[in-house]
Amino acid sequence: MRKRITLISVVCWFLAISFYVVEPVWSAKKTAAKSDHTKMDPRQRVFFENKIRPVLVKKCYSCHSSEAEELGGKLRMDTRDGMREGGESGPTFVEGRPNESLLIQALRYDGLEMPPDEPLPESVISDFVTWVKMGVPDPRVDIPLIAMKPTEETVAANPELWSFQSVSNPEIPVVQNEGWCFDRLDQFTLARMEAAELTPTHDASPVRLVRRLYFDLIGLPPSAEQVDSFLVDYQRRQQTAVAALVDELLASPHFGERWGRHWLDVARYGESNGNDGLGRNPTFPQAWRYRDYVIQAFNNDVPYDRFLTEQIAGDLLPAASPEERDRTLIATGFLAIGSKPAKAMNVNFDMDVVDDQINVVSTAVMGLSVACARCHDHKHDPIPTADYYALAGIFLSTETMWGFAANQPLTAPETPLYVLKSKHHYVPPPDSGAQPRVDKHTLSRKKKPKNVYPPGTPLAMGVREKKKPVDCKINIKGESKQLGPSVPRGFLSTCNILQTPKIEARQSGRLQLAQWLTSSEHPQTSRVMVNRIWLHLFGQALVRTPDDFGVYGEPPTHPALLDHLATRFRTEGWSIKQLIRSIVLSRTYQLSSFCDEQLLEADPENKLLCRHNRRRLDAESLRDSILAASGQLNREPGLGSSIANVDELVNKAGNLHLPHQHRSIYLCLLRHSEPPELSAFDLPDSTKPVGKRNETTLPTQSLFLINGDFLIEQGQLFAKDILADPKRDDAGRVHLVYQRALNRAPESSELERALALLQEVDKELKTEISQTELRRVTVWATLCQALLNTNEFRYVD
Amino acid sequence: MLGISRREMLASASCGFGYLAMSALCGKHSFAAGASGIANLSARAPQLPARAKRVIFLCMSGGPAQLDTFDFKPQTGKKKHPGSVFNFAQHGESGLWVSELLPETAKHVDKLCVLNGMHADITNHAQSFLQLHTGDRLRPRPSLGSWVVYGLGTENQNVPGFISIYPSKPSVYSSALLPPVYEGTPIGLNTTNMSTATINNIKSDHVPVAVKRRQLDFVQAMNREHATRRPDDARLDAVIQSMELGFRMQMAAPELLDLGQETKSTLARYRVGQGKVAGTCKDSDFGRQCLLARRFAEAGVRFIEVNHGSWDQHKNHRADLTANCESTDAPIAALLEDLEQRGLLDETLVVWGGEFGRPGLVPEDKKDSTGHNARGFTFWMAGGGIKRGLAYGKTDETGARAIEGKVHFRDLHATILHQLGLQHDKLTFQQGNREFRLTGTEGGKVVKDIIA
Repeated sequence: MRKRITLISVVCWFLAISFYVVEPVWSAKKTAAKSDHTKMDPRQRVFFENKIRPVLVKKCYSCHSSEAEELGGKLRMDTRDGMREGGESGPTFVEGRPNESLLIQALRYDGLEMPPDEPLPESVISDFVTWVKMGVPDPRVDIPLIAMKPTEETVAANPELWSFQSVSNPEIPVVQNEGWCFDRLDQFTLARMEAAELTPTHDASPVRLVRRLYFDLIGLPPSAEQVDSFLVDYQRRQQTAVAALVDELLASPHFGERWGRHWLDVARYGESNGNDGLGRNPTFPQAWRYRDYVIQAFNNDVPYDRFLTEQIAGDLLPAASPEERDRTLIATGFLAIGSKPAKAMNVNFDMDVVDDQINVVSTAVMGLSVACARCHDHKHDPIPTADYYALAGIFLSTETMWGFAANQPLTAPETPLYVLKSKHHYVPPPDSGAQPRVDKHTLSRKKKPKNVYPPGTPLAMGVREKKKPVDCKINIKGESKQLGPSVPRGFLSTCNILQTPKIEARQSGRLQLAQWLTSSEHPQTSRVMVNRIWLHLFGQALVRTPDDFGVYGEPPTHPALLDHLATRFRTEGWSIKQLIRSIVLSRTYQLSSFCDEQLLEADPENKLLCRHNRRRLDAESLRDSILAASGQLNREPGLGSSIANVDELVNKAGNLHLPHQHRSIYLCLLRHSEPPELSAFDLPDSTKPVGKRNETTLPTQSLFLINGDFLIEQGQLFAKDILADPKRDDAGRVHLVYQRALNRAPESSELERALALLQEVDKELKTEISQTELRRVTVWATLCQALLNTNEFRYVD
Repeated sequence: MLGISRREMLASASCGFGYLAMSALCGKHSFAAGASGIANLSARAPQLPARAKRVIFLCMSGGPAQLDTFDFKPQTGKKKHPGSVFNFAQHGESGLWVSELLPETAKHVDKLCVLNGMHADITNHAQSFLQLHTGDRLRPRPSLGSWVVYGLGTENQNVPGFISIYPSKPSVYSSALLPPVYEGTPIGLNTTNMSTATINNIKSDHVPVAVKRRQLDFVQAMNREHATRRPDDARLDAVIQSMELGFRMQMAAPELLDLGQETKSTLARYRVGQGKVAGTCKDSDFGRQCLLARRFAEAGVRFIEVNHGSWDQHKNHRADLTANCESTDAPIAALLEDLEQRGLLDETLVVWGGEFGRPGLVPEDKKDSTGHNARGFTFWMAGGGIKRGLAYGKTDETGARAIEGKVHFRDLHATILHQLGLQHDKLTFQQGNREFRLTGTEGGKVVKDIIA
């Protein structure tokens, strides 16, 4: 019945308008229609009134107007602006482009199907096509009553989210046992323990504390001598000795190698693009300069607000010297080292680059995943799509320079690079590094690079301003082909920051973004970093989802403590070293990881911090410790990278890893082709920020320890080193192996067990290896490798 | 984690020497790992009654030409049109059509359910290949095998639950956002020689195995003392178990990988070491792959993928296709024969196909090159509770597009999961605030018509 009425009405309407003969007016008039709809071409007006309005009234208004009982798809079609704004599915049309217009697609029943009962006659649809081609001239000037935009809704949905509230400076809690506390922060933890009627476990023994401090602050084990000298000093002056050691470690150049690596996880650092989705993985031969910048920044304790500003807008900061200029340019590599999907058949490529930049900034700095808002208003967190595109405009106005991309335009178009001006840059000699296996097939497809730099030119990845900054139009459902209204460049609307920096028309807004992020009012920046630092010192963060401070993240276990530390961090000059110093000198940090069963049962997850958490060495510390024990570790910084002269596809080039004895941070971190010495132990895949690495226990890790070349080789070298001193007897040697690997002497039962192992293995190998000297090395290597495989070696109490 | 102690979690993981991945940050598990938050490979009951226990995916990369293998398109009408250019005959009781290029497979045609109405979204290798494996065309997502092992765990704790033999790239066996314990173990990646390929670090001859055992005993003694003093830390127990497991894998896996115990006639039936090299057809030692697949299936590996390529005959279609068929025909026939004979076919779902198909050539025409066609192509399934001797779905008269019984990759995925007792819309993984599933937001349809 309903269908019949519809049909009749269409027919009537059709008859009614067919008396008019109107020449379609094509897109020549588009601009006029766009600029001022009141001065409309009269012929267009006639066309609208006769061909368009009647259909809208008859076929659309019942659901899409102020008259509608329930506004369909939140779309109003009874006002000009309502149609322009669009509804839930996005704007109704793209002016001049019928095929890309939702309205036309819906009328054609392509995806959406409108009107729902049955499609309009082909000729009517063709009128709408004509109308869109004209530029959608529409004389209706009603006051726009647009359906409520999701922006307001979403914000309203979560006004209470803790991480969007201003950072407070809480009162220091009163505790019963004030004498227990070393630092103000202890009063926050102790107050919670006391409230739960728990008492903290005992302090860590100095021998455990020294090992913990070495790994936490510089990522290396202490030598036996370093342990001894601390123990002597501790005996004499306790906490003063701890403070002296902490200051020494904070001043060590190895501090930056440890803490820089933590930041590189968050900065999704990699030395190649990673699989572009089409299996191609071009190298980033200059990425290591950013790595070195990060290490240096941590060693120099660059204030965190400055550190962020350099990485986001270093090119826009004043520089006193060429060295300073180069440093701040290299810093912007942060935005350029991202992993991109291939350009081939990907109209969204430019926005994919922008997406990576939004993602790294929002996740690393704010602990928020803004990325969801690319396609729709964030479902849970107060981040509307418009905010995403406000940020996107900033990065769209920024030129990202990743370099040659192995001259594979299907992967990514070639870009220029920064040419560094200072004379002091290390340039890897042309014949150094890995020798790629050159694949003829790849070579023949290579394009000649547009940007040619003379050999020996120091280059860096980075970003700079585009000549003409632009605002970004909303990409409907994240598709660059379907564009909605443009959003002025800006920041997240839900963060309450009174003095939002103003972006001038000629600026991208990156500098303002950095200012906004590091503003004293910013609710997340300081909290997120404090939480990351706490995580690396305790093995568990206060907000246990360090990259998600949103609705689905975990709330802080100690909200007042988090705010206390965030306030201290900011007001004490954003000094990372100072914050670390305060934390490790606290009583809470120095607790033992051992505790009685009662405490364990009361708080199995250790949420109240009554004890310390035992931790497994990460991939880098494990390798560095093995090298330190075997005597092979080269403590000098590794220079450059094995791929500094390799502009190739990793997937075609064969093995690009060159073993060396420098610390692990200097190994070549190719995405999707990790260094074999590290890959067994949960490296981040470095395509997105990772605040906390996975910790898996897998049999392939056991195989790496039992059969891996690295362990076998280091066991041999360790053994040779031990055997080099002819004066020691076997017991003395076992003693030395224990000292070197575990920082302690073997107990007498352990000594016996070790000697028994040596004897049995020797017997076992007699027939295999007849040469005594050779056999002796293998026998001792068996013991050395065994100690490197133990949990005692691989875990820190 | 959720208010239970680590010890309880360990206990709940049961499985003695189960793979234990204590993954503190692996996200919220919606289904498989349950509330314990532990990712592990211990075998678990499916959501629904299962028809199959495991999958062998015979992945034919490059786009196998369906019109010259299974989808017979004879000439109709007066004017010559694209269709099959090789001869076809009906085989078996079912009378299914099979091309002359696959004489050995043809003998087993009554075991097959041929899906002629397959279709996909894109005619570009990389994207479609990825979609076939992960459901997504561009972004890193868990592979089908990872989802299966996530859902069901695995039966044999001495070998990996998901093995990908001769894969072309890590993204096709990646666990992506699922915990890494579900990642496939590759054997022979990229351009390695498939005749000698193996698992990383599975073997080392630096000392005899007796010495390694002695060394491990020493390590484990120290580890146990270390753990005894730290009774609160279940991770330390997990490491002890995992060390043992690695050691046992070292014993079990090389044996599984060693075809020395197979008879000469078996090696001959599978054509081990007899891969063809001609044009696009690379020597994948597909015979060794299929024989390994059978051995892994017997050993209880949950998901096994074997690979051959490339079927991408842009030129020399006839010659290269012949070589590709010749390389794979006998090994596949031997695999089907052995699975049936050992009573494994009923519980093993065998799936054959590639990322898309190819348009047909015109018979007697000189043109000898074919492009890609994702609008209609062929897969087949065998065993695992699928109907036997059935041709399901149809393409139009030139084979250009599927017109009946259309099956998308999403539907294929949903059907494979269904046969294993898993519901594609319930097998989800929560990461951050998003819930992921293999069949994506669009979802798939279980192809009920082909289920026995």
